[in-house]
Amino acid sequence: MVAVPKPRRGAITGKRWVFLVSLGLMAGLLFVPAGHSDYLNLTFRNILMYAAMSYGWNLIGGYTGYISFGNVAFFGIGAYCSAVLSKAGVDNLFADVGLALIVNALFAVAVGLPILRLRGHYFGIATLGVALGLTDLASNLDFLGGSGGASIKQIGEAHFTTYYYAMWAVTLACMIATFFIARSKLGYAFVAIRENEEAAQVLGISPTRYKVTAWAIGAMMGGAAGAVFGAANGFIDPPTAFAVDNNVFPIAMAILGGMGTASGPFIGALLLSGANELLQQHFLKLHALFFGGIIVLMILFLPRGLMYLVGLRGGMRRWLSDLAVFRV
Amino acid sequence: MLRIENVGMRFGGLWALKDVSFEVERGTILGLIGPNGSGKTTMMNVISGVYKPSEGEVQYAGRRIADVPTHDVCHLGIARTFQVVKPFANLTVRENVGVGAMYGRLGAKRSARDAFARTDELLEFVGLARVAGRPASDLTIPDRKRLEVAKALALDPEILLLDEVMAGLNASEVDEALHLLRTVNERGVTLIVVEHLMKAIMSISQRIVVLAEGKKIAEGLPQDVTSSPAVIEAYLGARYVKRQAAERERKAAAPPAEPPA
Amino acid sequence: MQLVLQNLVNGILSGGILALVALGFSLVYGIMNIINLAHGAFLMLGAYITWQLWSTFGLDPILAVPIAFVVLFAFGYGIQRGVINRVVRAPVLATFLLTFALSLLIETTALFVWTGDTRGVQTAYTGANFTLLGVTVPWAKLLTLVVALAITGILYLWLHRSRLGRAIRATSMDVGAAQMVGVRVAHVYGITYALGAGLAAAAGALLTLSYPLTPTMGDPFLIKGFVVCVLGGLGSVEGALVGGLVYGIVSSFATQFDVTIAGQHLSGTGLQDVLALVVLLVVLIVRPTGLVGRATA
Repeated sequence: MVAVPKPRRGAITGKRWVFLVSLGLMAGLLFVPAGHSDYLNLTFRNILMYAAMSYGWNLIGGYTGYISFGNVAFFGIGAYCSAVLSKAGVDNLFADVGLALIVNALFAVAVGLPILRLRGHYFGIATLGVALGLTDLASNLDFLGGSGGASIKQIGEAHFTTYYYAMWAVTLACMIATFFIARSKLGYAFVAIRENEEAAQVLGISPTRYKVTAWAIGAMMGGAAGAVFGAANGFIDPPTAFAVDNNVFPIAMAILGGMGTASGPFIGALLLSGANELLQQHFLKLHALFFGGIIVLMILFLPRGLMYLVGLRGGMRRWLSDLAVFRV
Repeated sequence: MLRIENVGMRFGGLWALKDVSFEVERGTILGLIGPNGSGKTTMMNVISGVYKPSEGEVQYAGRRIADVPTHDVCHLGIARTFQVVKPFANLTVRENVGVGAMYGRLGAKRSARDAFARTDELLEFVGLARVAGRPASDLTIPDRKRLEVAKALALDPEILLLDEVMAGLNASEVDEALHLLRTVNERGVTLIVVEHLMKAIMSISQRIVVLAEGKKIAEGLPQDVTSSPAVIEAYLGARYVKRQAAERERKAAAPPAEPPA
Repeated sequence: MQLVLQNLVNGILSGGILALVALGFSLVYGIMNIINLAHGAFLMLGAYITWQLWSTFGLDPILAVPIAFVVLFAFGYGIQRGVINRVVRAPVLATFLLTFALSLLIETTALFVWTGDTRGVQTAYTGANFTLLGVTVPWAKLLTLVVALAITGILYLWLHRSRLGRAIRATSMDVGAAQMVGVRVAHVYGITYALGAGLAAAAGALLTLSYPLTPTMGDPFLIKGFVVCVLGGLGSVEGALVGGLVYGIVSSFATQFDVTIAGQHLSGTGLQDVLALVVLLVVLIVRPTGLVGRATA
């Protein structure tokens, strides 16, 4: 009788120790408000926000393999949910997040059913179209404040701390949800579709149902982050809600940290968004140059993300030969 | 159990299948043979719902396969392997089979844990337990064929369509594969086997259907089918049959030069 | 009738330049599978080069078109050979992010060189119109359309008649086969990207006649170019032309759209891009290969 080897760990959620480290870092981030610095709260809240958005993208882009270029739509809708509630006289973060979850889930299903039939680039372009369409639409709807934007009433005195904890909770929920979804039957359906949609279908997986599910859960993640951001920011207008940067940064973070893993988006956000905040602090005008440079270097030298380096056997030579595969 | 009625399949102006009918009885093994390009794989695709037939219909358990969405065909109890294997390259062998156990005919009743328990039994059964934790992309050709079979079995099929699962195997591997298929059949699964290896398919099939140029040219017991002139002609060409006939006439006309020993 | 005619003319006038914007984007996308997010930045560079030549030497923007083209052609070739070719075979996300970062670098640099102030070019014919059959036509836009169509025509002929043009088209159909018959893929990719950048710059140069200049002026044109080339069908000159005209005409007629629903006033002028995007989504779902319908990608 041959000994049965233990199944390879981490194909679905990433390496277990990396996830534990991420959880530890998240726990550490609970103490940021202890610094009594609005600046620190803001900086780390941004990092957490990008992580949550990146988790939202990761479910459809990383796990299901449908590369979306329009996930900022969900963030924007979430932010506007807070604005609409504030206008109606409801200033409660739970209500904001709750409404954002419901609206985004419904919107994602309605939009996902037609556009998730598209494959590859066509899907990406359609998602971009949705995000851009929403930007223009929001600029033209009076009850959302039009292009002038809408303000959202701030809550209480220690609002910086409250909003920080809210964003922290949203991000932790995204991280843990991703971990459990990935290990569940649902996660295997997503990954099977990513690997080979026809083969997945033959094994009894309805591609439409699971693609829309992944897309909708991701939409809820982005929407929750947007709702907290809107409330925390106290003001929202179309260019802020649907910013191009917010569309692209979460993707870069997922790639750097590891697409289709449960800790990748968090680690990517911590590194990239952290670098961005630092650069912004020290080189206010030049920071975009540095940030652009970092992304260029990352794509040129780490196109497979950071976890590839961790798992690399064979040193520099292997690394260079792996890179050469992508050249012409 | 499975009824194929006047099935025709057209691609552009070309009929890959024309007016093919046969039936498969529960619990039997049916061999589907024919020269290259005779429409065997097309037939498999029609039965498994990958193609909707241009004419006629395939009925299984009283339902028209063409009306069933591709992802529900396995829930009816029909599973198949692919001639060109399609593993999920970045998943392990165990995960590949596990997905089938989670979403196949009995998948709805299984948790992920139960599905993997079932998977481990199947991997043991087809002989893949030793590579369970490897990425599917690492497998050798015979192991990929085994994986294809394991994935199909994970769907808990009532009827299993096997498309050239023995191609590329050596003699002892073919024997193992035949043994495996017989065991599967003894457990109550109906088999439709497409194969190039005549010897293998003759030994395992209870009935044989022969296709040539998209038409059914013979059906029956293995030994009857092989002696049918239409089948020999299809495989070896009309000239060969004529030459054979001429040879026979010549032998009949001229007495043998010396008596057989 | 007058109104319909005027809208049609407006649509064609703006559609021509959109076709030129989309043309370079479409080439790069169709041939190398790169979603070139730096396309808008190249357009902006072309516009600023034109502005610089005009404000320093008084050069007419039309005459600056070839200069902007050549400068960005060289720049684009360098970027492709030096940077993008290194990861061109990676999944499309890699080049997507890479070109996004490049556009970030270019736009930030432009902000330093030319500041964020809005610039404009004044010529003798700026703001001049003529009226034909009751339809008002601005000279600057007509001139833009004529030059844009001329460039499109030249490119079409070049792609189909010249040796290098054929090599590019061959590469787009099958890289491996092209390599086998001796096409130098790295060079062909360099030329393709250079063409994309040069065409963007030419469009940028022409746009100075009717649009104000800022370092981020390229972004909306990038998006429109994206939409136009999908509308028409990726990677083909005809597709970009058809897509550009359809986009121009749809958004021109959209300006007539004006309704009030439940106290919410919706005006077509604000929503013309939304309507164009709705058209895009419908086209994508009904006919994913685009209006011209030749599946190349």
